[in-house]
Amino acid sequence: MTSVIGSRAVREDAWGKVFGQAKYPADVNLPGQIYGVVLRSPHPHARIRRLDVRKARELTGVAAVLTASDVPHNSHGVLFRDQPVLVSERIRMVGDPLVAVAAESPETAREAARLVEIEYELLPALFNPEEAMRPGAPALHPEVHGESNVLYHLPVVKGDLAKGWASADVVVEQDYSTQMVDHAFLQPEAVLAQVDERGHLVVQAATQYPHYDRGEIAHALGIKVSRVQVKTLSVGGSFGGREDISLQLVAALLAYRTLRPVKMENSREESFYSHCKRHPMTMHYKTGATREGKLVAMEARIVGDAGAYASWSPNILRKAAIHATGPYEIPNLRVDSYAVFTNNPWTGAMRGFGAAQPVLAYESQMELLAKKLKISPVEIRLRNMFRTGSTTATGQALTGSVGLEECLQKVAPFLWKEGDRE
Amino acid sequence: MKKRGTGLSCTWYGTGYGNGFPDVSSAFVEIHDDGTATVLTGAVDVGQGSSTVFAQIMAEELGLNPEDILVCSGDTDVTPDSGTTAATRQTYNTGNAVLKAVRQAKLRLQEFAARKFSCPSPEGIEFKEGMIGVRGDPSRSMPLSELVWEARLLHGERFISAASFTAQTTPVSLENGQGAPYWPYAFGCQAAEVEVDTETGTVRVLKIVAAHDLGRAVNLTQAEGQIAGGVAQGVGYALLEEVELTEGRIKNPAFAKYLIPTALDVPEIESMIVEEPEDTGPYGAKGLGEPAMLPTVAAIINAIDAAVGVRITALPATPEKILAALAEKERGGSGD
Repeated sequence: MTSVIGSRAVREDAWGKVFGQAKYPADVNLPGQIYGVVLRSPHPHARIRRLDVRKARELTGVAAVLTASDVPHNSHGVLFRDQPVLVSERIRMVGDPLVAVAAESPETAREAARLVEIEYELLPALFNPEEAMRPGAPALHPEVHGESNVLYHLPVVKGDLAKGWASADVVVEQDYSTQMVDHAFLQPEAVLAQVDERGHLVVQAATQYPHYDRGEIAHALGIKVSRVQVKTLSVGGSFGGREDISLQLVAALLAYRTLRPVKMENSREESFYSHCKRHPMTMHYKTGATREGKLVAMEARIVGDAGAYASWSPNILRKAAIHATGPYEIPNLRVDSYAVFTNNPWTGAMRGFGAAQPVLAYESQMELLAKKLKISPVEIRLRNMFRTGSTTATGQALTGSVGLEECLQKVAPFLWKEGDRE
Repeated sequence: MKKRGTGLSCTWYGTGYGNGFPDVSSAFVEIHDDGTATVLTGAVDVGQGSSTVFAQIMAEELGLNPEDILVCSGDTDVTPDSGTTAATRQTYNTGNAVLKAVRQAKLRLQEFAARKFSCPSPEGIEFKEGMIGVRGDPSRSMPLSELVWEARLLHGERFISAASFTAQTTPVSLENGQGAPYWPYAFGCQAAEVEVDTETGTVRVLKIVAAHDLGRAVNLTQAEGQIAGGVAQGVGYALLEEVELTEGRIKNPAFAKYLIPTALDVPEIESMIVEEPEDTGPYGAKGLGEPAMLPTVAAIINAIDAAVGVRITALPATPEKILAALAEKERGGSGD
């Protein structure tokens, strides 16, 4: 038997964190550093008619005021590069980055950002995915994603639904919805970027994937991957909110242009606008079972609001579809899952990644069915749950570790039974 | 009136990038003169504890303490690409890469030791509590530090290695969704006990009992930590948190108005680790990061129904929604 595995070994970073010595990106500084801020869009959908940065550039203490034309390759994104480093023309959401400013102090940088003059042409905006997916709705990403706002659709089809419904003795049908939430990590985004003595761009940040960040920085700035170093410092929570690249790109751009170390640190409010959110989803579920409590049919329609940019939306709505049955065998089913662009803040990875939202629906359906069938919540789950050898909605055979039944047996004694309620 | 009830929720979670996307992690290993070792991976420890997990894997293989291992993470100038810290994949994916790499370096050390101890096969060499020697023959063993020193400095041996691990996944069909998109799957069940105040509509979560099948817990304390964090996040998702939008603008971009659970909102948590070993995982491990937060929401929603007979179908279950549902039930509308 092994000994170190399964132990309670003390975290290797425990002492540094307990004594406050751990270094987060906000804690590192360099002599001569300047401070960067981003001017963001107040409008959800607009065209930039005129952008005048002259007054901002003239302010004493300002080192750089950069716009889209200063970005060599102005795009980034985890699946599609459909998100601008700085918007050149079309704004798709409140919070879209427009101008990057660096100055001798954060106050001067913010003052300069206020001096930027922008004229907007406001465009009608889409906030409701159901409206955005209708044919004829104005396309939000015609260049990258074509004329439809439906970024992704996955049907999952199995068995024979008509037969399934015919064999169902009870059916429950219900709409569910989940809200948009934020990762709310305790440490807002911060970054220190510099061009070092080798002429390499060195970016210190808190990220979930430094090698991805390195590639995005190299691409946006048009420099070689071997000339970019992304160094991860202590990370104050992430939960998916540090997967899309954030301030790292703008800080790298400012440092590369000014050849001075650039420090950026978000306020909480700025942080809310500079990372993705969890997808709100609407879920229509119809589930049927036999008198014996065996699930025989399910239909579900899931619509997720992708917001203004793709990020991980196709993968997330795919994951929602694949997990839509819950951990139960259902022989006949159809699930349709959609990711739809709107002018809301963009949504992306967050702990659970599309498998979190359907839980509300499938576990509520199980409860409603149990009530109709007058069997216990534990019993209906035992009669349908995945075990080794089960087949999922996508036809995958679960050949390995499936410890679900043991989990249920462990929590079941804590549930009150009929009559336990006062 | 305050009424109590319990609710159940069972969930599953496919780990890894999935859908056929190449899900690869890499690790570099070097064993030093004094028998200690370094492992380099691109995997960022975002607080979940992956660096400690890698130290434990290295220590387990080399018969050392985790403190003897230097884990260097997430620096693109020196560490290999180990993918995103996401998808509940670092213990499984990068853990497997570390295991593969350390076993390669270890094999060369075993070969050297086998020659030294006149043992016909390197498999007969074991590492135990800082010693290296022939299994079952204590007379043929010596401190690992002395053997590595001798091998490196007198014989010019080097114990370094690099390895990659790729998870198994196939894409699903865009016509009917059929395929084997993820592997492995993690499972979990939670039961919630709540107290609902029928006058104010507020819900207090009194207790969560959480059982999670993670294959194998590499670090028990960290596994319990993941469950506690997941439950706290689940309580926020079920009852408190919502980014409120008006025309795409966030109305509450501050913690004064965007409410996350505080210590007072987090219930008593009883966590139970279920270990159904996964053959392809390091020592049987799958993962726990995301699965830990999945069941909480529905367990709470089902417990609210058990307590007061109303079903909340739109998150979060705010006092306003609960009072409205109670009033509707009063008027004779369907509670469910």
